[in-house]
Amino acid sequence: MALNLDRRHFLGLAGAGAGAAALSACGGPTTTAGPATATAAADIDFSGVKPAASIDFWTNHPGKSQDVEKAIIAKFHAAFPEIKVNLVTAGANYEEIAQKFQTSQAAKSGLPGLVVLSDVWWFRYYSNGNIIALDGLIKQLDVKVDDFQKSLIADYQYGNKQWALPYGRSTPLFYYNKDHFKAAGLPDRAPKTWQEFAEWAPKLKASSGAQYAYIYPALAGYAGWTLQNNLWGWGGSWSDEWKFNCDSAESVAALQWAQDSIFKDKWAGVSSKEAADDFAAGITSSTISSTGSLLGVLKSAKFNVGVGYLPGGPKNESPVCPTGGAGLGIPSGVSKEVQLAAATFLKFMTEPENTAQFSAATGYMPTRTSADMTTVLAKTPQIKTAMDQLAVTRVQDNARVFLPGADQEMAKAAAAILTQQGDVKATMTALKATLEGIYTKDVKPKLKS
Amino acid sequence: MTRQLTDRPRAVVEAKPAAAPRARWSARTRRDFFVFLALALPNLLLIAVFTYLPLFNNIYYSTLDWTLGSASATVVGLDNYVTFFTSSDATKVLGTTALFTLVTVGGSMVLGLLVALALNSRIRGTTFARSAVFAPYVLSGVGVGLVWLFIFDPGYGVLAWLLRGLGQQSPQWINDPQLSLVMVMIVYVWKNLGYCAVVYLAGLQSLPQDVMEAASLDGANGFKRFVTMSLPLLSPTTFFLLITTMLSSLQAFDLIRIMTPLGNGTSTLIYEAYLQAFGAFNRAGYSAAISVILFAILLIITVLQLRFVERKVHYS
Repeated sequence: MALNLDRRHFLGLAGAGAGAAALSACGGPTTTAGPATATAAADIDFSGVKPAASIDFWTNHPGKSQDVEKAIIAKFHAAFPEIKVNLVTAGANYEEIAQKFQTSQAAKSGLPGLVVLSDVWWFRYYSNGNIIALDGLIKQLDVKVDDFQKSLIADYQYGNKQWALPYGRSTPLFYYNKDHFKAAGLPDRAPKTWQEFAEWAPKLKASSGAQYAYIYPALAGYAGWTLQNNLWGWGGSWSDEWKFNCDSAESVAALQWAQDSIFKDKWAGVSSKEAADDFAAGITSSTISSTGSLLGVLKSAKFNVGVGYLPGGPKNESPVCPTGGAGLGIPSGVSKEVQLAAATFLKFMTEPENTAQFSAATGYMPTRTSADMTTVLAKTPQIKTAMDQLAVTRVQDNARVFLPGADQEMAKAAAAILTQQGDVKATMTALKATLEGIYTKDVKPKLKS
Repeated sequence: MTRQLTDRPRAVVEAKPAAAPRARWSARTRRDFFVFLALALPNLLLIAVFTYLPLFNNIYYSTLDWTLGSASATVVGLDNYVTFFTSSDATKVLGTTALFTLVTVGGSMVLGLLVALALNSRIRGTTFARSAVFAPYVLSGVGVGLVWLFIFDPGYGVLAWLLRGLGQQSPQWINDPQLSLVMVMIVYVWKNLGYCAVVYLAGLQSLPQDVMEAASLDGANGFKRFVTMSLPLLSPTTFFLLITTMLSSLQAFDLIRIMTPLGNGTSTLIYEAYLQAFGAFNRAGYSAAISVILFAILLIITVLQLRFVERKVHYS
């Protein structure tokens, strides 16, 4: 045949096609000469905008809240028949939902109207320009900002703007097996300090038959969150503002004590997956877990469950409890119509009766001060402990909530200390260097001066 | 056969006469060409869009300092590559990748061969055993990972229960980075040895029986026959498996993702690329650079395979 289409020519054709396609589609981000900085968000004018007929609500159903989310959406449809809310399971946890959200941002398509964002993710969305400031919508829709729990709504404020509203908000709680405590002759309460618990632990372990007197939360989960309790109790922290002091004598002492409780005193262990599940299964006499696990634990545990404030340490008895959980934000990459519809639903979702309903179903704290919790507390009085503890919470360390990936680095450091018996000082020194590196590269250039 | 395959194109090239003036296309040639285009173009387009385009885009992204989710990025040239190779990440990630590949490829092949030898024997139940051995290979990696997580769980896993029965505490398979890697490698080998076993079994069954019988008559025992005859004759199978399992190991993702989501101790090149972009860091440019490095390694292995296998393997 005259046409000499051998393998070489064939591959040439294929290569030429691919090359042309590649050249024509160098999409992705727009490139700039210098480092990208967060730009000041202009107030969006929603006057004359009509809400979209349909929006997607991306959630990971925190605290197994799918049913209650469906119920609240059904009420919303009855109240606002012109707006349809599609409930989308966008991940199994905060990280998976963030992954889907970030990927959609990169693809510039498929974004939702409303998205669940956790305490460690919202700031990144803000700095990437992924979410809008809610101030204009709050004013237009008359959202009662003053009625929200002050510390919870303040968590989403930056640059004098409100970037999200609190939704499934939690604190860690001290969970204990009342039956084990009784059998060990211990008082029916959470320990006031970890030193007090260290005195109780051998008795608990001897009498309970459980593997551990206490189990540290799973490191792959949110070790950086709950270990703040230990650090703060000993007078340490992951960071003080932007000074990274996780290698301070106090921080090292706190984690050394934690390591000793596992390897030296042998009354503590580390959960592999979910400490609340280990506790409910009777593997341990006590643990620390989110208030969002409360209803699940009460449902599955075959023993009497007690809850209390987090124990303090030798330096600080209080406040040693961080807030946590998730809020709701509105993406910047969707139309004004969708943003307005999403804000209408956001307002409805955070109304006092709905936050009370959400709290009753999950154990998360009600985010509104006027939420009537009488019925909820009559049924689940343990929620009151979480609500009361809110008064003695402390703002989380910047290193954990503002540094991308810091939570994972903290978890890795905790794994080295608590499962490999690594040198605490050396591990914390290495962590400090890592955190400083992340801050310098990823955060500092984007901070407002 | 190998020699012929290698030599033939060279001979053709040498015998080729000086280039003749290109003839005008006849009607038939044109028709053939359009038929060729009609058949090949859809596939070429698909390959271009879904394979080459992402590949070239990825190389382009590897030159950017780009946070996933951000609309803008900075061109940094080769900085991402420099950062990777000058940081402790490189040693850690490349070391983990090498160890994971070595153990899983070696483990799958050695155990696969032993299983194949057992399955090749004429005893009852081999048909069922073959299916049982191969089944894990076709199971979903996600499902396999979840089930094995329950087995390894130090709190209420089957393994922990057995160890407690012996008065021992379960190791921290999930939290300890070193043990996490061991755990994932065990499960990976378990899942993939069936593939090696089936391929080796096919190789064993195609060995020339007359030669083996002759060796047996000459007094060679089973072990000697295996070492001096079966193994060399299985070399095409071994090299095929070496390359396919190596490429597969280097791209292992699902088990690592399910069993160790943080990748603590189990961050191979591909998983590190995933974590950097889609995990907590969102460093899309840096992740793209790691992907390009992985691509280069896979390319080198493939080229070596093409050159090495054709020259060294004894087909008969």
